[in-house]
Amino acid sequence: MTVGDIRSRIDAASPDVRCHPDATARPSSFTDVVPPRPISSIGPDQRLSSERLRQIDRAFFGPFFREKYGTAGDKGLENSRIRYYGPIHPANNAGELAGRRYVHEFNTMTGSTRGWHETLDRMGNVRQVRPERHDGIVRHYQFDSDGRYRGSW
Amino acid sequence: MELGLEAVGRVFDDVLNGRMSRERADRWAYAVVREEETGVVKYSPPRERERIWAGVMYLYGIDAMKGPNAYLHSGDDIRRAMIACVGGVGDPTTIENLPAIERPPQYLSADSAPL
Repeated sequence: MTVGDIRSRIDAASPDVRCHPDATARPSSFTDVVPPRPISSIGPDQRLSSERLRQIDRAFFGPFFREKYGTAGDKGLENSRIRYYGPIHPANNAGELAGRRYVHEFNTMTGSTRGWHETLDRMGNVRQVRPERHDGIVRHYQFDSDGRYRGSW
Repeated sequence: MELGLEAVGRVFDDVLNGRMSRERADRWAYAVVREEETGVVKYSPPRERERIWAGVMYLYGIDAMKGPNAYLHSGDDIRRAMIACVGGVGDPTTIENLPAIERPPQYLSADSAPL
């Protein structure tokens, strides 16, 4: 099992927070700041490239999610999802672990989101993943520096 | 829901003073995040929105562990984050109470780790 496997399992346990259309009350909601931009359409069976996802993200969703969750960067994935990375909160007394960050993932096809906390080592490898679960169960999944699953608690 | 720097600073303070467990602070921040998703959080004052949100996002996950019985963040980490996020709104005496928050609540005495 790898870090990616854990992330894919988060779907089943995470709260399905959807992008609400009534978010216009927010001072910086995307409806306030996004000018209409021409984006050519694609067929329903066509897979979105990561570059195209970024294009869509910049036009429609970026200001909504990036401001809140993606201050340290974002990445368009091949599976129509965009991942937003928060800043790393340093841990100065945790040995090889450098700190943690919150990662927010937006599915552009379904509108659903999920999130998890990652703990990284000083080489930038993800060593722990803690999914946000709607059932309230807190579980840390641990990996070695090569990304191999080591166990959980 | 209205949220100000003082409220966020108070949660940091309560964690640092042992009045609030990290687990509870994490759930408090998670509730704010959920409210924010529905667009009902009002930041007061609005110009401090970024700092308030940064504080909330630090508190969200503040109970992360480096191992089964040890928190990832030290009290010093949290105090530095509090100063960076919310500035001087915290209680300056919190540093004296740091040793009380270094371990998960099940390893603390009942009066120092309210859950």
